[in-house]
Amino acid sequence: MAIFLQQLINGIAQGGMYALIALGYTMVYGIVELINFAHGDVFTLGSFLCIAILALLGVSASGQIIAGWQGALIALLVVVLAALLCGVIGVLIERFAYRRLRNAPRLAPLITAIGVSFLLQGVMRNWKGPSEISFPQFLPNPTFAFGGVHIDLRELLVVIVSILMMVALQFFIYNTKLGKAMRASAQDRDAASLMGINVNTTIAWTFFIGSALAGVAGFISGMYFGTTMFTNGYQAGLKAFTAAVLGGIGNIAGAMLGGFLIGIVEAMTAQYISDQWTNVVVFSILVLILVLRPSGLLGEQLPEKV
Amino acid sequence: MHRRYIIALTLALIAAGCSQQSSQTSSSTSTSASSAATSAAATSGTTSNAAGGTVIKIGVDLPVSGADASIGVPTQYGAQLAVKQANEKHLVPGFTFEADVLDDAVNGVHDPAQGAKNIQSFGADPAVLGVVGPFNSNVARAEIPLSNSLQLALISPSNTNPTLTKGPDAVAMRKDHPDQIAYFRVCTTDDIQGPAGAAYEYTKLHVKNAYVVDDNETYGKGVADQWEGAFKKLGGTSLGHDHITKGQQDFHALLTRIANTHPDIVFFGGNSSTGGGLIRKQMPDAGLGSVIYAGADGISDNQFLQDAGSTADNVYVTVASVNAAKLPAAAQFLKDYQAEYNQPVGPYSANAYTAAMVMIRAIGEAVKANGGKAPTREQVLAQLRMTKDFPSVIGTFSFDANGDTTNRIISIYEAVKGKWVFVTQQNFAGSP
Repeated sequence: MAIFLQQLINGIAQGGMYALIALGYTMVYGIVELINFAHGDVFTLGSFLCIAILALLGVSASGQIIAGWQGALIALLVVVLAALLCGVIGVLIERFAYRRLRNAPRLAPLITAIGVSFLLQGVMRNWKGPSEISFPQFLPNPTFAFGGVHIDLRELLVVIVSILMMVALQFFIYNTKLGKAMRASAQDRDAASLMGINVNTTIAWTFFIGSALAGVAGFISGMYFGTTMFTNGYQAGLKAFTAAVLGGIGNIAGAMLGGFLIGIVEAMTAQYISDQWTNVVVFSILVLILVLRPSGLLGEQLPEKV
Repeated sequence: MHRRYIIALTLALIAAGCSQQSSQTSSSTSTSASSAATSAAATSGTTSNAAGGTVIKIGVDLPVSGADASIGVPTQYGAQLAVKQANEKHLVPGFTFEADVLDDAVNGVHDPAQGAKNIQSFGADPAVLGVVGPFNSNVARAEIPLSNSLQLALISPSNTNPTLTKGPDAVAMRKDHPDQIAYFRVCTTDDIQGPAGAAYEYTKLHVKNAYVVDDNETYGKGVADQWEGAFKKLGGTSLGHDHITKGQQDFHALLTRIANTHPDIVFFGGNSSTGGGLIRKQMPDAGLGSVIYAGADGISDNQFLQDAGSTADNVYVTVASVNAAKLPAAAQFLKDYQAEYNQPVGPYSANAYTAAMVMIRAIGEAVKANGGKAPTREQVLAQLRMTKDFPSVIGTFSFDANGDTTNRIISIYEAVKGKWVFVTQQNFAGSP
């Protein structure tokens, strides 16, 4: 039982990261029906930016621990800066790569998204080199044990931050004016603009928020694993996209559910079947669910087309 | 106007998409260009006396970028030093050697398809009479059939998978010229390396319960199986054997499963570029921080130390080669290497130096047999197959009928405070 709970914790921690990235996919898809393949790379870029910001603050990967409020302050500063920068990059990507193609055939923005993904990977590859790079794990990492199950601060951090972000996002979408504008634009772009909603600004905000969440995911993934690599976004992006589809693309609660589910399925497969079968099991479940429930677990939320 | 803008943008993005590809090739060519420059600089000092004899190229195919660079680059330096010294000492009068260096890593990880491409481009250059490389066994799998069909000598400094030279797989790989082997290696194989490591860890570190993990590659799975078999034969218990997948980042679930079996050693078969350091880094998270971690030559590099960081302690590895510092014959080589590159040798620098030297000797013999004229690739191969009692910086050796070295030495290293420290070495010359 203890081992099951332990794997559940592992799964939730990994799933939280998938969920955070999946939110970006699902928000963008919900509003412009574009699978933003560059999103996974924005996530990795988030990790890279965190490393750069930490270096500016004088924190290197030497294993130094900054305890107390100083550590918390640095973490907060880094995560906020990385989220803002990633958000801005997301907006720039939308402005220069996708906006003009919004009414083009769907294949065009899709190919463009793949192009942007390569572009970001190329930039990161030339920036830090094509190998694993260390992420400074500067926060102390006490372990809390109860009943044979142990959870350390990093895992706790991953879970708390991802849940906090999702709750905030849910609140934002349903209780603010901008959130309302997003939902309106997702439902019917033309009608929304007739109602006086600036659709371009709304879409830009969607990209900003999605990318900022990816930046946060980049920080917690770096803290959790202690390393990152320029190609990580590809795998993580693929899994997160799967999570979004699993939960019902365009559906924010669905993305979270899908993310946690995939993380947990991965951990359980590694425990009870074999580590090398995790991808097979994850994607088999995806196929099954799409066959039985084509609109995902919680249903798609897409603009209605006449 | 609008449409034109879209087209321009799409083209720009496609160009950007391609830039990743081109940056790879350009980076690999830039390494080859810079190393060609060093070798050119090396030769230019001697051409005045050599009066610019005919140029013979020796191809060097190793992974020299990304996670493999920390072990690949010092290996490449070994080969380049041999070429430089051959020119300075006029080992083959009337001829000047040149190292033609290519990178077989793609996105920072050794890549069999890239290796095969490199052999093809060496094959297309008539000046290339032999190749030093590759580093990784799965790359060798892709290259051996090509080198066999081109009859272009290929000498690996570090491939340790036994099936490359022995058994049905090896025969299948040289089907174009079954009797004319073109692939040789100067290090010993995993059927010796795996058991040697297992014996050390079982008897000297007193570990009894092991969990084995490998990266599912030719080399990684091979050495892990050999290690596990030997460990069990000694009386140890294998609690489980798992394989990880390429590009995997999260090992927490796997490590939790491992921790639940309470091993006192975790063995990893694979490379630093395929997850060796990341697993060690995440072990403390699953409560495995104080468990011994062992591996083979694939993780005996600086990239491992960097990835594992503060967890790079209590780690033991084997290297399928002699520690050059222990051999009097290597003293001059170590001094020259330090002087040339201003850094200590890597685990396979001396092997690459030896591989290049044995190639140069074979070319020299072939020139002699050919009446002072440039030999063909077949003539060089014929000389290589006859290599007997070649005195080298890693000891005197011959090539057996399979192209394997008769020099069977395994050295063992331990990671102590972010450095690899030599522990011991053993000679298995008598073993089958």
